[in-house]
Amino acid sequence: MVPPEFYLLLSAAVFCIGLFGILTRRNALLFLMSVELMLNAANINLVAFSQVWGNVTGQTFALFTMALAAAEVAIGIGIILVLYRNFDGVDVTDATTMRW
Amino acid sequence: MAGILDFAPAIVLLPFVSFLVALSVGDRLPKGGAYAGIAATAGSLILSIATVLTVAGGQTYDATIYTWAEGIEAVDLTFGVLIDPLSAMMLLIVTLIAFLVHVFSLGYMNDEGETGLPRYYAGLGLFTASMLGFVVADNLLMAFMFFELVGLCSYLLIGFHFREPGPPSAAKKAFLVTRFGDYFFLVGVVAVFATFGTAAFAGSESFPALAEAALRGEASVTTFGFEPQTWFTIVGLLVLGGVIGKSAQFPLHTWLPDAMEGPTPVSALIHAATMVAAGVYLVARMYGFYAISPTALAIIAFIGGFTALFAATMGLVKREIKQVLAYSTISQYGYMMLALGGGGYIAATFHLMTHAFFKALLFLGAGSVIIAMHHNENMWDMGGLKEKMPVTYYTFLSGSLALAGIFPFAGFWSKDEVLYETLLHGLDGNPILLAAYAMGLLAVFFTGFYTFRMVFLTFHGNSRSQTAQDPHDVHWNVKFPLVVLGVLAAVAGLVNMVPVAELTGLHIEYLHQWLEHGIAGLTSEHYSTLLHDFAGYGEAGLHLSPLIPGAVSLGLALAGSGLAYLLYNVPEPIRHTDRLGRIKQILYNNYYQDEYQVWLANGVTRPVARAANKFDGGVVDGVVNGVSGVSLFAGGRVRRIQTGVVSNYAALLTLGLTALILAFGILGGWFV
Repeated sequence: MVPPEFYLLLSAAVFCIGLFGILTRRNALLFLMSVELMLNAANINLVAFSQVWGNVTGQTFALFTMALAAAEVAIGIGIILVLYRNFDGVDVTDATTMRW
Repeated sequence: MAGILDFAPAIVLLPFVSFLVALSVGDRLPKGGAYAGIAATAGSLILSIATVLTVAGGQTYDATIYTWAEGIEAVDLTFGVLIDPLSAMMLLIVTLIAFLVHVFSLGYMNDEGETGLPRYYAGLGLFTASMLGFVVADNLLMAFMFFELVGLCSYLLIGFHFREPGPPSAAKKAFLVTRFGDYFFLVGVVAVFATFGTAAFAGSESFPALAEAALRGEASVTTFGFEPQTWFTIVGLLVLGGVIGKSAQFPLHTWLPDAMEGPTPVSALIHAATMVAAGVYLVARMYGFYAISPTALAIIAFIGGFTALFAATMGLVKREIKQVLAYSTISQYGYMMLALGGGGYIAATFHLMTHAFFKALLFLGAGSVIIAMHHNENMWDMGGLKEKMPVTYYTFLSGSLALAGIFPFAGFWSKDEVLYETLLHGLDGNPILLAAYAMGLLAVFFTGFYTFRMVFLTFHGNSRSQTAQDPHDVHWNVKFPLVVLGVLAAVAGLVNMVPVAELTGLHIEYLHQWLEHGIAGLTSEHYSTLLHDFAGYGEAGLHLSPLIPGAVSLGLALAGSGLAYLLYNVPEPIRHTDRLGRIKQILYNNYYQDEYQVWLANGVTRPVARAANKFDGGVVDGVVNGVSGVSLFAGGRVRRIQTGVVSNYAALLTLGLTALILAFGILGGWFV
C-alpha cells in the first residue's frame, strides 16, 4: 500500500500549481482551471485519509466537492461570458471598475 | 350595605361629566352648557352635604379605587379616595363655591353676550373636578397629578379671552410660575417614594406615620445618609415648593395679580375654592409630616407672615378693584401659612373656610360691579354705587368686614385664631414665630385700610363717571350667589368662637370638635402631640387668654378701617396715596418684583443657558464629531487597497493565509 505521505506530497504539489496559476495568470479561464486544481488537491487529501482510516466519510465529502466544483464552473463560465461582453476580452486586470 | 361614602367618587366625576358634555355638545345646548355645569355641581354639592353629615356621624372612608401601575417588588401607583373631616369640609366648600360660580357665570358670561361659552363651561367643569379629585386624594402622587390638572385649568381659564394681548400672557405666566414650584413638588414626591416606599396620607403605613416612627426610633427608612430629621425637613421643603407656587406665597406670588385677566367668576373660583386653596390644603393634608420638623414649620410661618404683610402693603395703592382683591388673597393665604407654621392646624383650616366664603363673595361682588360698570375696573371711575345696587353693596360690605377682620364677621374669628395660635407658640421661646406674628399683626392694619378704601371708593361718595351714574342692571343669577355667600361671610365664624368659649366656658368650638375625630393619625389631637414632641410647641405650658390678642388685632383692624373712613368716605375723595411719593411708586410697581424676576431670567438664567449651550456644542458635540472625523480619515486611507484587480485580492488572500499560518506556527511551537 502506498503510504499517505506520497498522497500528501501530490496534493500539496497540485495545490501550489493552482495557487501559482491564480497569482500569475491574467486569463479568467485559466483562473477557473487553477481553482479546479486547488479543489482537486483537497479531494486527494480527503480520499487518501479516507483510505488510511478505512472510513468512507472522506470519499463522500470528495463527491460533494465535485458537485460543488461543477456548480462553481457553471457560475464561473457565466461570469466569464459577461466579462467578455462588457470588456471585450477575458483579461481580469481590465475589469477594474469595482473599486473606490 | 353601601354607605353614602361609597358614592364619594361621584362628587369628582359629576363635574368631569359636565366638562365632557360642555366640550362635546355644549354649542348645541341652551346657554352653552351652563345648565349641565350647574346640575353637576349641584349634584356634587348635595353629595358633599350628605358626606359631611355621614362624617359627622363618625364614619370615615379610605379606599383604593384603581391601581394604575402595579409594582413588581416596588410600590403600586394608585388612585384612592380618603374622606375624613378635613376633606369632607373642603369638599363642601369647593362644591358650594363651584355651584355658585356656575350660577353667577350665567349673569356674568351669558347675559353679557360672551362667545366661546362651551369652552368656558368645559374649563369650569374640569377645574372643579380636578380640585375635588385633589381634595379626596389618598396619596401624594394622585394629589400631585390633580394639582397639575388644576394648574392646567387655570391656564385655560385665565387665557379665556385669548384674542386680547393680556390674558394669554397672564395665563402663560401663571402656568410657568406655578410650574417652577411644582418642579420641586415633583422631586419631593419622588423623594417620598424613595424614602418611605409609599405615598399614602392615612393609615399606619402612611408616610407621615412612618416618618414619626422613624424619629421615635421604632422604624427605619432610607434617608440617603442624612439624619432622619434633616432629611424629612428637606423632603418637606421640596413639597413646599409646589405649595408656595400654587398658594402664591413670596417669591412665587407674581402670577396671581396677573391672573386677574381671566373672567371674574374664574377669579372667584381660583382664589376661593380651587387653585390657590390647593397649596394650603396640601400642607394641612400632610400636616403630620410637617409637624415633626420644626425647621420646616418655622420657614412656613415666616414665609406666611412675610407674604401677609408684603402683599397687604401692595394692595394699599392699587386702582383696579380686582387688583386690590388679588393682593388681599395673597395676604390672606399668607395668614393660613402662618397658622400652619405656627402650629395652628385648626386655625388654618378655619381661615381657609371663612376666606373661601368671603373671598368668593368679594370677587363675585366685584364681578357684579364690573357688569354694572360695563367692564371698567378702575375704582376712580366708580363711586356712589351704594344706592344703585343695594344687594351688591350690602353683601360686599359683609365680605369686606369679614376680610378686614371686624367683629363678629367670619374673618375676625379665624384671623384672630391664626394670630393667637402663632403668638402662643411664639411665646414658648420661638423668635421666628414671634417675628412672623408681628408681621401678621401689622398686616391686619393694612388689610383694614385697603379693604375699606376699596369699599368707599367703589360704593360711597359721588359718582365719578357717566357709567357710574347709570349702571347696568344685574339679575337674580348674580344676586343669588351674593346673598348666599353674604350670609355665610357673616355667620361662618360662629362655628368656632374660641374667645367666646373661653369667656363663657361653653363648648362651642365646633370646628375643634370636628377636626378632633376621624382617622387615627390625621386628627388635630395627634398633630398637637407631634408638635409638642418634635417641634417643642406648647412645651412651656403657657396659658394665654385669647381675649387680649383678639382685642389687639380687632383694634388694629378698626384703626385701619377708620383711617380709610376718614380719608375716603367723602363725596369727592382725592388720591391720598400720592402723598406717599416714591413709596407709592414702589408699592404700585409691586416692589419691582416682576422686573427683578425678569432680570433673573434675562441676566442670570440666559447666560447660564448660553454657557451650557456652548459646553454642549463645544465639548459634547466635539467629542462625537471628533470620533466620526477619525473614522472618516482612516476610512479614506484604508479604502485605497480596494484596487478592483482580482489578482491583487488573490495575492492579499494568500499573503494573509500565509501570515496566519506562520503566526499559528510560531505561537503553537511548530518550528521548535
